[in-house]
Amino acid sequence: MIEVRDVAKIHQSGETEVHALQGVSCHFPGQRFSFILGPSGSGKSTLLYLLGALDVPSAGEIFVQNRSLSTLNNNERDTYRREKVGFVFQNFNLLKNLNALENVLAPYLPLGVSTEQKKQAEELLKQVGLGHRITHRPSQLSGGEQQRVAIARALLKRPLLILADEPTGELDTKTGEEIFHCLRDMSEQYKTTVVIVTHDERYIRETDNILRLRDGKIAEEIVDQ
Amino acid sequence: MLKFAIRNLLSRSVRSLLCLMGLTIAIAGMVGLFSIAGGLEETVSQTFGRIKGIVAMQPGAPIPLFSRIPRSWGEEIGEISGIAIVNPEIWSRVNMIEDKPVISPPRFLFGTELPSRLQLKHGIYRDAIYDGRFLSLEDQGTLNTVVSRQIAEQHHKQVGDIISVNGQAMTIVGLYECGSMLLDVAIILDIDVVRDITRFDPNSVSCFYLEQSGEVNNDLLVKNIKDHFRGRELASWQPASLALANSSQSNILKDFVNAIDQSLKGSSDKTPVEDKANAKGKQNQSTDADAKIAESDQQQSALEVRSAADWGERLETFTADLDIFLGLMTGIGVLIAMLSIINTMLMSVMERIVDFGILKANGWSNRDVMLLITAESSLLGVFGGILGCILGLIAIVIVNWKFVNQVHLYASPGLLLFGVVFSTLLGISGGLYPAWWTTRMTPIDAIRRG
Ligand SMILES: Nc1ncnc2c1ncn2[C@@H]1O[C@H](COP(=O)(O)OP(=O)(O)O)[C@@H](O)[C@H]1O
Ligand SMILES: [Mg+2]
Repeated sequence: MIEVRDVAKIHQSGETEVHALQGVSCHFPGQRFSFILGPSGSGKSTLLYLLGALDVPSAGEIFVQNRSLSTLNNNERDTYRREKVGFVFQNFNLLKNLNALENVLAPYLPLGVSTEQKKQAEELLKQVGLGHRITHRPSQLSGGEQQRVAIARALLKRPLLILADEPTGELDTKTGEEIFHCLRDMSEQYKTTVVIVTHDERYIRETDNILRLRDGKIAEEIVDQ
Repeated sequence: MLKFAIRNLLSRSVRSLLCLMGLTIAIAGMVGLFSIAGGLEETVSQTFGRIKGIVAMQPGAPIPLFSRIPRSWGEEIGEISGIAIVNPEIWSRVNMIEDKPVISPPRFLFGTELPSRLQLKHGIYRDAIYDGRFLSLEDQGTLNTVVSRQIAEQHHKQVGDIISVNGQAMTIVGLYECGSMLLDVAIILDIDVVRDITRFDPNSVSCFYLEQSGEVNNDLLVKNIKDHFRGRELASWQPASLALANSSQSNILKDFVNAIDQSLKGSSDKTPVEDKANAKGKQNQSTDADAKIAESDQQQSALEVRSAADWGERLETFTADLDIFLGLMTGIGVLIAMLSIINTMLMSVMERIVDFGILKANGWSNRDVMLLITAESSLLGVFGGILGCILGLIAIVIVNWKFVNQVHLYASPGLLLFGVVFSTLLGISGGLYPAWWTTRMTPIDAIRRG
């Protein structure tokens, strides 16, 4: 479903250039769990953000459902992110001024939220086990609960793709397991493709795909077609 | 989205409140200051809008109080075609009412020739009588007087009561109310009585009030009268000498009159009274001035003729100057308020870069984010504007109530609307820079920072 071809990314950090990715080509099959592994600084996050069109590659191309992301204009990129991609971040990244339900609805605030979407959001929060926390603010929720709100937010749009950057990095083992459980459950239910960056290889199953990066290059790719 | 913006503002309530207060005070200041000009304009239109006739007086004298012209010219003026009625007037300042010195607001003895006054089609004071009666022919030579509601109420008098003015016991036979600060200052009596009381030069009057017959166009009439008196000898008015001579005069009045005089001179085409003359001191002045007149253009008219529109226009140039000054003053306040909005918004925007990154990651466009920020800042603007107008209005009401007779401030609905709109624009523009600032950040940069 996702084709990455010869992608390079150079970050400009003041005077120095950082070659975060150097000619990466890989493949992520649809409706499956794929993991991006590798030591810190190997370019995992960089690759993930490129997949989500949050950034543009310095060279190479990324195809999602046979459409090149580099052909999208700004508007289409916004739409792609709003409609096709759900992000889950390490530090949950909820908006502290909005309650759980409003956070789930956040992508649609500028367009206006329909009652239908509101019902779906409530339903999703129930499914991730937060039916009783709908009106709580992030500060009133535990880390695991916040991450589940983020997962619900990612799922509301029925995304093609969920991109998660170390989603359990700030959670204890038990909560981490719950979050992975939740992610697997939901992605199965919604037939979503999931790409996860992680340090923690504990949560990987036999059937998952694995991409290992080192110094911006692919060290190992295990894709089970 | 608006709810979200409000929520964001409320979540930093102290900062929003401070910013709001700054804006409120700036707008209140603006409304307050411009209400001075508004009040002046309203007074002017209320005053001169009513006066249908024209006034002939001494050139250079800002108001009839300081004007002296030969009494005999009245007959000559009456013969000019287009003039229906000539009413001689004497104006004099009142120093004491009921044994209390009169400082501010000023009061004037207004002596008017009754036979001609009663023939006027429109007599502003006669038409404004609300209790008792206007003076009649029988009141000639008596101390019967007509005063304004303001004066009566200030001294707790009614029709039939005796009021002591400059030591003279006068009988109030009628009360009038014009509703203008500039008109409701007159204590009206027969002209000869005022002449006696004030020892006014028997061969002079302050001015003539002229009512037109309507046969001659007003501008032409004014020109004809001026032409008739062109080249006659009459001392031009000396602001300083009169101001010094009448030492009981309050400073406020003096300053006000001088200010008007300055602005009138500035806009009139007459040769202004030379400052030199003022500097030479009191004694030499009249002779000095006479010499000046002799030297100067003989073609000048010895009579200044002003219609109400004329007066209004001249005062309007004065208020226009005032507007510039007030504009500068408020400009400073507004600039500070604007900087405070930018500062508040920029700070809150910088703090929330991560939030915007999240929103962008969720499909918000740059436009959406900018919209959110400007929504927040314009909310500050709208509320600051509304609160400012309310605060300004309250201040105006208090000032008007506390100093009923001295000042009249007026904030027109237009001024208030302008206040709110202007404040909203300030809010929007104050948010634009911070909003634009966020668009330079790409979402990941923002998230990475967090
Ligand atoms: N915006 C950026 N500016 C400069 N350097 C960056 C930027 N983003 C990432 N890098 C650098 O690129 C490399 C890869 O980063 P990243 O993709 O975050 O690695 P990982 O997620 O595997 O830890 C690192 O050396 C990092 O310092
Ligand atoms: Mg990373």
